Amino acid sequence: MNNWIISIKNILHKPLYAFLSIFSLSISVGLLLGIQQLDSSIQNQFTNTLGNIEMVVGAKGSPLQLVLSSVLHIDNPTGNIKYSEVEKLAKNPLVKTAIPISYGDNYKGYRIVGTTAGFPKIYEAQLLKGKGIENSMEVVLGNDVAQKLNLQIGDTFLSSHGLSENAIEEHEQSFTVVGLYKPTYKVIDKLIVTSLGSIWDVHYHEEAEEEEAIHREHKEELIHEEYEHHAHKNEDKEVTSILVSFRNPMGLMTMPRNINTNSNMQAALPKYELERLFRFTGVGVKAISWIAYIILLISCITIFISLYKMVRERAFDLALMRTYGASNFQLFRIVAFEGVLIVFISLIFGFLFSQIGLYFIVSLFKSQFQQEVILTFSTIKMLNSILIILIISMVSILFAIFPILKMNISKILSDEK
Amino acid sequence: MVQTSNLTFKYKKKEAVFSFPSVNLQEQENLLILGKSGIGKTTFLHLLAGILKPFSGSVVIDKIDINTLSHSQLDKFRGKNIGLIFQKNHAVKSLSVFDNLKARLFFSRETIKRSEIDFLLEQLDLIETKNSKVNELSEGQLQRLGIAMAVVHRPKIILADEPTSSLDDENCNIVMRLLQQQAQKNKANLVVITHDIRITSSFKNVITL
Repeated sequence: MNNWIISIKNILHKPLYAFLSIFSLSISVGLLLGIQQLDSSIQNQFTNTLGNIEMVVGAKGSPLQLVLSSVLHIDNPTGNIKYSEVEKLAKNPLVKTAIPISYGDNYKGYRIVGTTAGFPKIYEAQLLKGKGIENSMEVVLGNDVAQKLNLQIGDTFLSSHGLSENAIEEHEQSFTVVGLYKPTYKVIDKLIVTSLGSIWDVHYHEEAEEEEAIHREHKEELIHEEYEHHAHKNEDKEVTSILVSFRNPMGLMTMPRNINTNSNMQAALPKYELERLFRFTGVGVKAISWIAYIILLISCITIFISLYKMVRERAFDLALMRTYGASNFQLFRIVAFEGVLIVFISLIFGFLFSQIGLYFIVSLFKSQFQQEVILTFSTIKMLNSILIILIISMVSILFAIFPILKMNISKILSDEK
Repeated sequence: MVQTSNLTFKYKKKEAVFSFPSVNLQEQENLLILGKSGIGKTTFLHLLAGILKPFSGSVVIDKIDINTLSHSQLDKFRGKNIGLIFQKNHAVKSLSVFDNLKARLFFSRETIKRSEIDFLLEQLDLIETKNSKVNELSEGQLQRLGIAMAVVHRPKIILADEPTSSLDDENCNIVMRLLQQQAQKNKANLVVITHDIRITSSFKNVITL
């Protein structure tokens, strides 16, 4: 027999009280830990996806939209810019890399990104099978795409116009799978990577066919414009955006302002835009955290009430223990252990609840938004939350068992007669 | 073995001071303290057990003035040397009969063999209820459990507060017989306070308050 056994038997003696206390505290612990883990996992995921991209240059519009579409691939592009701008930018001595990307098509909902050989390097993507892109209309698949669509090297497919799945506006030229990337747990896993030439070939081939049909109708009027336009088109191919990294911080300090004021393009800084985004989403995270804290407070009040009630109801039991030789401190410990046990069991269940909840949320992200969130722990944040939970719980336990110190055994034993 | 001298007690916020007769008990000597309700019998018992501090005077058990002990020393002393029995018997509700006895030993820092606990339970006809919860016991079984709790740690003095008041004659005799047997077996002093005159004949020493 020891103090812990007595505490456990006391808890088991009132299972409903214990259940309610553990249940409510577990819910708040689960909510607190879960929302914090989800928030930091998403932030990590986004930051991780940035790689070494310090600036994105694209058509004028919303900078956040430009970052979301070109870096995270979860929004529509702001428009196109001329390919000649890429060449100009790449020649700038402050620029280390300028990787153009061009997209606007998908295959079964997965984006097809036309780019250069530098693109997979941003994500440290390595080939699992096959070879890199050498010719037009060849693609290398991100790991998720290959697994989900069950495509193998040598398979061909027709892409659809737009960024969401549709079978109506299919292009006529087919892509051929020549390679598969290893999993990187970054955005490239969900992309179909091809060359810029492939995108241009698909689009300009179709544009040319459409224009040919129009020309057949208005041959005479347009004959002059046709030659002019074709000549112009070859020179002014377009891309969606340019992903830029700098040689030194000077580039980051001067170039975005230059581009935004002296060109018809916009430069967006991914880190800044994502921080802005987190500030918006942070409001939701804070709201849920506050709800969790309120539940935590309510559950601590429940623990306080059940322990306080227990001290009152079992006053005679406690007084008896004093006559058996237990000291005040020993009684204090027995009742405190009950509270501590409830809190620790709740912490374990709360952690399990948070992991189960996160599993479902991550599955939802994957199925609804095709975003794989890799769950990461922020140990400091988690310890902070646990510390807050422990402090609030311990204060409520101490308040509940404080009357033990003032207990008048003689009066309790006499009154019970 | 048990001596009190010039023992008085005063409740806080009350003017009245209770005075109690001096007691001098030798080893294994029993004492019955008779008195009407409200005269301070329970107060006297609580003073003897060190549950209350006297206004003046002393309580000496086994050559130790218990009021000179610190709180923790007194708790330990009480746990080891004194067994208390109450009119309405209680035990810790969340524990079984056996666990209550083990808890009693744990608090008094005593260890005895499992077989000795079983023997005590057999003597008090409680062996069948060994693993029962306290709230499953009848009043009679509770009364006997109270006696078991008071003697399991082999105290030097057993203090009983109105142990027979609510019992019929037959059960009154059974309880008194058990109490005296256990006191004798443990070589302890038995001090009973009561207003129940039926048990007067069981004692040589009787003090009336």
